[in-house]
Amino acid sequence: MNKLFPTQEIGSLAKPAWRVKGYRGETLSESEIAEAVEWGQRLGIVGVDELVKILKKGERTQDDRRAILEWSARFVIRFFENAGLDIVFDGEQWRSEMYEHVIRNVEGFKFLGYVKSFDYRYFNKAACVSKPKYVKPFYVEEFAFTRKNTDREVKVPFTGPYTLVDWTFNEYYEKRLSGKNKDFKQRKLEARREFLFDLIREVVRPEISGLVEAGAEWIQIDEPAATTNPSAEEMELFVEAFNETVKGFNCIFSLHNCYSNYEVLAKYAAELRNCSQLALEFANRDSRQRGTGEVRVGYRELKLFEDYGFEGKYGLGVIDVHTDFIEPPELVRDRILHAAKIVGDPSRIYVSTDCGLRTRTWDVSFAKLKNMVLGAELARKALA
Amino acid sequence: MVGGRDNHTSQQRRMKMIGCYVTGILPRPKKLVEATRAYERRKISEEELEKAFKEATIKAIETQLSAELSHISDGMLKWQDLLRPFTENLEGIKAGALARWFNNNTFYRKPIVQGEIRHKKAIVTELAYIEHLPRSVPWKAILPAPYTLTRLSENKFYKNERDLMFSYAEVLKAEIESLAKKGFQYVQLSDPALIYNPLKEPISRDVLADVKEALKIVVKNGNVRTCLQTFFADFSQILPDVLDFPVDDLGIDLYETSLEKLKEYDFNKGVALGLVDARSSLIEDENELFTVAEELIESIYPSKIHKVFICPNCDLEFLPWERAEEKMRVISRLTKRLKVGLGVHE
Repeated sequence: MNKLFPTQEIGSLAKPAWRVKGYRGETLSESEIAEAVEWGQRLGIVGVDELVKILKKGERTQDDRRAILEWSARFVIRFFENAGLDIVFDGEQWRSEMYEHVIRNVEGFKFLGYVKSFDYRYFNKAACVSKPKYVKPFYVEEFAFTRKNTDREVKVPFTGPYTLVDWTFNEYYEKRLSGKNKDFKQRKLEARREFLFDLIREVVRPEISGLVEAGAEWIQIDEPAATTNPSAEEMELFVEAFNETVKGFNCIFSLHNCYSNYEVLAKYAAELRNCSQLALEFANRDSRQRGTGEVRVGYRELKLFEDYGFEGKYGLGVIDVHTDFIEPPELVRDRILHAAKIVGDPSRIYVSTDCGLRTRTWDVSFAKLKNMVLGAELARKALA
Repeated sequence: MVGGRDNHTSQQRRMKMIGCYVTGILPRPKKLVEATRAYERRKISEEELEKAFKEATIKAIETQLSAELSHISDGMLKWQDLLRPFTENLEGIKAGALARWFNNNTFYRKPIVQGEIRHKKAIVTELAYIEHLPRSVPWKAILPAPYTLTRLSENKFYKNERDLMFSYAEVLKAEIESLAKKGFQYVQLSDPALIYNPLKEPISRDVLADVKEALKIVVKNGNVRTCLQTFFADFSQILPDVLDFPVDDLGIDLYETSLEKLKEYDFNKGVALGLVDARSSLIEDENELFTVAEELIESIYPSKIHKVFICPNCDLEFLPWERAEEKMRVISRLTKRLKVGLGVHE
């Protein structure tokens, strides 16, 4: 992109009640339907009456449910466009969640139940029970719909294989190796490796291939688990997995990672081949004071990536997705200018949210994104 | 090497006991998971949540009893993380942001130490469902070890980590005294931080010496059997120093520890062998575990066999309830086979 400081969201946006309940076939309240109408007007969406008709139905057909997904995706594409983003997607409206969406669409997995994440939060964890098998595309339709509905650049968020493996019990491969290696630790590592590279070969690469054939030009590999196991052997495995995932495709790839140990990731970033951009979370670590230099404590680790020789671009997190605080454009500008100074080449900075905005309301998300776009504009002016 | 090898045959070497127990927080059964989620969404009251915790605790205790574990815990279902009861109940500490629990997809709240730590009241006995623990079986309590508490805290008050560790040690001493008074006979001190250090060199011998001194304080007045349980990394890196620690038993995560290195040492105290993998849903091959356990016990106890406990390598809360339940049965069956295989006389 020729424009300086292009703007992007990372991936997800909250699903409105009419999307969630409507898709499930539940009855919607008047206020939930009114929310669709109101946002439809705000975003200048034509034909919302058709959506309302579907939402008011007592019983919804498979076609109705599909139409709700499409409407929801259409709303979010306009949402991002109206906020002024240069790079858009559909806010992952077609997906139940980044992990479950993939696992439920691939053979070889079985959900075992809920395990604790923290406090009263849990996640539904699956086990790999047979060799993973690709049965149908799980992102392609969503991408094709987005591509058809916008003229802007499209980036496809793609849950990375290392994270899928890290979040899944590995029964099939551990069982295969049972009794073969007396050292349990080595055996588990070997089983993990086999699982990871089978998943890449059998599932991830076929899906990427489908996306590229459908016209995808930029795929963002989401790997929140990248530094969960910070040992050298695990980090090397992660790098090898990324490189194997993206190898040989005629497509731009980037990596998104957040709430992680960047001291560890920085050491390995330069080894990621064909990784045009690292989209990282910084705003969450930063102060809210204006200015560049010392006050920008959240961006200290950006220098580490430079010191270790990463030469690609940065998706610079300037919006904290875990708070309703609306970052003023001047704060966004200062974060961008500070980072541009560290990197030395402003063309390597893409302006981004820390992560997907799915935990924020649409009102908050819209205000945040608007200011992010304004902040990028201020930064461009400052460097003009 | 510690202890001298002699010519005793395995038949002549007798162990007092081989037992089995869980080593941490149990997973919440599905009904309790649903209740906690409903509580979060304000769909049930605090009383209804408490009722769900009580019912699930009874289930957790009954499961351990029916699996015939030798020591019973209340399951620690209310513990949001291993440190939380201390983070929330000690004066001088406040709960901080979420941080990753070692190399797991699980998080804990970082204790922020902002003043002198004061132990205002007994914490764990207040939290435990003592009234539901059966008198027929010894009770086991699980606490964080002083070193792990220290390493996982953010110290904004004490001069250094050593001072903080000794302050935590005093708290734990009082906790163990209170647990013993209530009837607990076994206390595990969970110490993953002692061995988990993937980015740096293993813990220095000087720090290990400090840890030993802190543990002396912890166990000083407690009339209970104690275990220092390590997990998430290789136990062999703290050998042989750990053999002199003032605890009765040493807990080892056998899914992270080099068996060959372990076998290079003669043990002079009891062991808790983490033979069941609480981070894998696969149910283990008991024949294989039996062989591994038998070889290991023969090797680390060339002369006198001390107490041996068969256990999961870490908290079973990493599994959904049903798998944890099955793994409790695995450790029980394995223990029975080992009793026969090793000729144990109780």
